[in-house]
Amino acid sequence: MFAFTIRKIIYNIPIYLAVVLLMMALLRIRDPVAGQMGKNATAADFAAKRVELGLNEPLLSQYVSLLGSIFTFDFSREIWLEPGVSVGEKLAESVPVSLALTLPALCLTTVLSIVIAMVSAFNRGRWLDRTLVFFAVLGMSISFLVYIIFGQYLGAFKLQQLVGHPVFSIHGYESGIQNWAFYLLLPVLISVTVAMGYDTRFYRAVMVEETEADYITTARAKGASQMKIMFVHMLRNAMIPIITRIMITLPFLVTGSILLEQFFGIPGMGYTLLTAIQNGDFPVVEVFTAIFAGLFIVSLIATDILYALFDPRVRLQ
Amino acid sequence: MIQRFTSFLQTREMRKLRSNKAAMIALVAIATYVLLAVAIMCGAITRDACDTVVGANKLPGFFAKGSPEQRYEIATAKILKMTQTALTQDDPAEALKEIKLGQIRISDQPVENIQAIVDAANRIKDELNKSDDLDADPAMLPKLIELEATVAQLHAPMNGWDRTRHNASLLLGTDIQGRSILLRGLYSVKIAIQIGLVTATFSVILGALLGAAAGYFGGWVDHVVVWIYTTFSSIPNLVLLVVIAYAFTGFDLEERLLAIFGVPADSPSSLRGTIGKLFGGLDVKNSLLPVYLAFGATFWIGTCRVIRGETLKLKEMEYIHAARTAGFSSFHILLRHIIPNTAHLILINFSLLLIGAIKSEVILSFLGLGVKGQPSWGIMIRDAGNNGDVVSGFFWEIGTATVLMFVLVLAFNILSDALQDAFDPKHV
Repeated sequence: MFAFTIRKIIYNIPIYLAVVLLMMALLRIRDPVAGQMGKNATAADFAAKRVELGLNEPLLSQYVSLLGSIFTFDFSREIWLEPGVSVGEKLAESVPVSLALTLPALCLTTVLSIVIAMVSAFNRGRWLDRTLVFFAVLGMSISFLVYIIFGQYLGAFKLQQLVGHPVFSIHGYESGIQNWAFYLLLPVLISVTVAMGYDTRFYRAVMVEETEADYITTARAKGASQMKIMFVHMLRNAMIPIITRIMITLPFLVTGSILLEQFFGIPGMGYTLLTAIQNGDFPVVEVFTAIFAGLFIVSLIATDILYALFDPRVRLQ
Repeated sequence: MIQRFTSFLQTREMRKLRSNKAAMIALVAIATYVLLAVAIMCGAITRDACDTVVGANKLPGFFAKGSPEQRYEIATAKILKMTQTALTQDDPAEALKEIKLGQIRISDQPVENIQAIVDAANRIKDELNKSDDLDADPAMLPKLIELEATVAQLHAPMNGWDRTRHNASLLLGTDIQGRSILLRGLYSVKIAIQIGLVTATFSVILGALLGAAAGYFGGWVDHVVVWIYTTFSSIPNLVLLVVIAYAFTGFDLEERLLAIFGVPADSPSSLRGTIGKLFGGLDVKNSLLPVYLAFGATFWIGTCRVIRGETLKLKEMEYIHAARTAGFSSFHILLRHIIPNTAHLILINFSLLLIGAIKSEVILSFLGLGVKGQPSWGIMIRDAGNNGDVVSGFFWEIGTATVLMFVLVLAFNILSDALQDAFDPKHV
């Protein structure tokens, strides 16, 4: 088992190195200095700025220094857009905000969609199942943007007119647990609505597979109640695909939701990252994608190891 | 050929697909969209037509009258103002001839008559201005109707065909600049179908070839392919799309090509134009190239994974062993025996990728990184959001974009499900 883990880690190192390099190379296709200089800048100004930002060095040495700072967890590099603020401070500011949005959304989506999927799978082919599947497909066909715009309009704007005082914030953010519902509950609900269609369909397919298994027939034959079959027998057996799906979405919790954060003015990671990309703020983009890729690869390895624990055949490959 | 096609239609899977009524309706809807896209590509709706001002700003759809305040705005907004400006020019007759509002032209009367109509309209306007709120003042309604009738005297009467075109372009109202929402929404169909087809075709071919090669050859080929796709999937999809779109948005292909060919910067513009034309159209800066690059880099991964898995299964089948024993080359086996047997998966993935590309295009365009210089549903939604349409209760622009996109994506979702049911029923 130990050898298996080590092998997996070694196998993923080149992938990690490539992700960091790919991101650096992509960012440098466009000249970042031009965007930060005035119209009357001379060639000498450009050169000076390049030296100041460390862009005059060859790509390889920039790459090595970036890798060095990531592997030593040194995020003290200054960001380009706000002088005096380090990348680490920016991260510490925005990641908790994103987590406050994505974590409740993931929990709520998963619980709700598993319950609906089980009901749907148990009534397979009947009108209830068909209606649920129909709504899932319908929900998947509407653009994310439309959910956000109308969610904001109905939930924040119309509701405020109706009740007379603001129930949910339209735009803006304040930290603190007492402010959570005001600023983040509406985005969480929108996010859950969007994800429900996809998740329900996936879990339904998993459950349908399980309803045909022999152990369900056995459980029925020995007289177990419907509830017990659904929540004890079936759910436990469907746990592996469920865990896999959740594991894969874990790294994305940190990225937050670019669109939701932009609409509601929530200063989470997605919003910070999008602003950084659009303004050519390399330190933020590079460090952040490097961290995300690290988390992604760790979760891949963890999933592989979990598989190997459950299924000894995997280890042989 | 025809016989092969008809016998393909009689296979068990196709019979199952054809008996699925929802899928057949979806197929008809998709065919309608594709035909529309082809018609627009052939010039049924030009890009100019989408940018032409056809009426007052933010007209509601279906020729709805709106509130008296809105009607007052609409009556005094465009044509009256344009005529007034033209009358102050040195040569009013010439200036009047140049006024265009969609199909509307100023009628062919002497300048004095036009001046008289404008004066009459202004008199009624002054009377209407005495009222603070027309909505609360029903007594003013006859005056308002008189104003509308007076302004209408400025137009030359339209002949039948022009009137039809004019009415059609106003059917779903106008946006904040007075451009036709219907024309812009329909033109976006072409953009969406074009991006969807190009992206899905490219991604499916690349993904299938790489996936089949990785699965069949194994060894280092497999390692390299898996390495490439894990690398690309280790970056969040939307972030990768945004970064690629950002990187290539400011990328001046024309300048690069000119530099490569050694054309000096001060060379005559005709030469520059010719070189621009040779490589991807005149307007390289506003082209869809960044969007294609961004989608091409990410969308092949899913297909590649699926085809690789299927190939791993297929290559242990007896008929492949038989082909190998018979002495066929690896490429022959790959292209004639393996890839055709993954055709059903390729078809399903093609349909899924089309949906993905269309949805991502809308989001990228919304963020200002996708389609530029031409209409797109994403741009329509962004405009509606920026101009406060939703808050003021004007849903025509965002509604048109949403409904057109919803029907297309729903049709593809239903078709993908039906394809999956028919060809790959064991899929989870």
